[in-house]
Amino acid sequence: MSYVGDATSPKQRSEGSTVFLALLEIRAARGRFLLMGSVVMLVAALVGIVSGFTTGLGNDTVSALRGLPATHFAFSADAKSDQFNRSLVDDRTLRAWRDRLGGDAAPVGVSITRGTTDRGVDIDLAAFGIEPGSFLAPPVSSGAPVGSSGGSSVGSSGDGVVISKKIADKGVRVGDTVTIDRFGITMRVAGITGARSYGHVPAAYLPLELWQRIRFAVPGADPGAEAPRQFSAVALRTGGADVSLAEMDAALGTKTVSREGAFEAAPGYSGERITMTSIQVFLFLIAPLVVGAFFSVWTVQRTPELALLRALGASRPRLLWHSTVQAAVVVAAGAACGGLVALGVGAALGDAVPFSLPASTLAATMAAVAGVGLAGTALTLRRVTSADPLTMLGAHR
Amino acid sequence: MSLALSNVTVTRGRNETRTAVFADLDAEFPAGKVTALVGPSGSGKSTLLAVAGALLRPDRGTVRLGDVDLAALNDAERARMRRTRIGYMFQSGNLLTALTATEQLLAAAYIAGHRPRRERRRAADALAAVGLGHRLGHRPDQLSGGERQRVALARALFLDPDLLLIDEPTAAVDRTLAADLADLISERTHATGCVTVVATHDPVVTAAADTELVCPGALSPRPAADTSATG
Repeated sequence: MSYVGDATSPKQRSEGSTVFLALLEIRAARGRFLLMGSVVMLVAALVGIVSGFTTGLGNDTVSALRGLPATHFAFSADAKSDQFNRSLVDDRTLRAWRDRLGGDAAPVGVSITRGTTDRGVDIDLAAFGIEPGSFLAPPVSSGAPVGSSGGSSVGSSGDGVVISKKIADKGVRVGDTVTIDRFGITMRVAGITGARSYGHVPAAYLPLELWQRIRFAVPGADPGAEAPRQFSAVALRTGGADVSLAEMDAALGTKTVSREGAFEAAPGYSGERITMTSIQVFLFLIAPLVVGAFFSVWTVQRTPELALLRALGASRPRLLWHSTVQAAVVVAAGAACGGLVALGVGAALGDAVPFSLPASTLAATMAAVAGVGLAGTALTLRRVTSADPLTMLGAHR
Repeated sequence: MSLALSNVTVTRGRNETRTAVFADLDAEFPAGKVTALVGPSGSGKSTLLAVAGALLRPDRGTVRLGDVDLAALNDAERARMRRTRIGYMFQSGNLLTALTATEQLLAAAYIAGHRPRRERRRAADALAAVGLGHRLGHRPDQLSGGERQRVALARALFLDPDLLLIDEPTAAVDRTLAADLADLISERTHATGCVTVVATHDPVVTAAADTELVCPGALSPRPAADTSATG
């Protein structure tokens, strides 16, 4: 009868974990592990910072679009890029969509301009022209909604504008009058909404007619002159409506894209995304190579000790676990510290630059760094399992 | 419980380079006694230790430790035997550099599935039994060659093995220390009743052993009767 498998034997025990040994080894070689952990920390911090900039720049570019409760935008088909600036559609298109969707189709005009308040504050603004009361009207945190009676030197009452908190942070208040540079068109600030921007320019929501006067204004012309009844796109809230976007596009000469697809139409959005994503990809490639190189050297150095552990009865799976625990401790600690560094950098930068690192993004990014770091250690596992206990004996050395 | 080898053949190399380290070897090692394994370099002492210690599977034959045939076990089963029933003391101690003397013993216990915290006092007693009660917290680089060997002996005996295998224990120590170590091995073997096999070139160790086995060598295998341990 074989002893092995005899559960009644007092010496029959399951194999113990080698976590204890793995941690003791880290303690004994703390200098080397600290160095490696620092490298992981720096890589993780860099990934976190780049991630913060990616999110921050993305928000700075498209947060105003993201804030619009539309599912799609119908642009004119001839606008191939930068559609919010190049596309112009008219009332005929709007009516066709309203026949299908009713109030879930609304005109939107987008342009970037600049002005000066009556208290001398210079501001850039991404002007979003919308119909007051449409589903695109932004909620206000203070003041009144778009189109409320704010008073204007150029039109009837009911053309008050709502500005982003980012403009308010520059010192613009409800009740201030803003004069659009060169055109002399004025408008009164009626309310303030959340921090939204488009193309790195803080957003302002204008009644559509006011937006059209700005969009089609000519310097020196009468600021009260009637403007073409055109706008950048028809914003759609399709919900569960049974409507064929392709058929509508073919009939109306439009190109309808999803809201997320419309982000590409924001100036600089694609270029920024490609740049930041490229940096992140390279960092994710570097991390496993650095960690893998360290653990390769570490494993080669301690091959005799791995052979000794095998001779003492540690199984191959246990040695794998032993090495994986060490790698996990290093990359987890490094990633955690790197995440804190990234948060610290974000806090230090404040509002000076567009940096945003929500907890969920940070956690996902650091988990990814730890994951690819651990993947790097896979390069060393074959050497770990091939440690030969026979080398412990004299004739086999 | 004794260790018995029967018709054990071990070869090295492949095809035309294949040579026998030893062939059809029969040997028996009694419990509670130290057997010195002697012979010139290349005679197969270390290979015999490897076969006896479940580190190497022979090409043929049986290696019985009590009622278990080590030669019939697979890799995982042999590893289990090594961590539960066999103690090793390698040349130059071969301690884990990161660990203190106490932790060397706890490591062996931990690998075998014991809880280190519960074993700490017993480890201190085991080290005291080999004269190292004052070196519990020292790492290998803080110990002399003789002290490292004593720690290795304490580690090998810590889990009360049925079989203690020792490879050239005095290779790195002077004559006085060698005699002390040989006496210590004898004393611990007699006290615990385990089967002890020591591969050695050192006459001091051989003199302290209870029995002696001359390794036959590859080219001139002796009849089984000649290779049995003698008193």
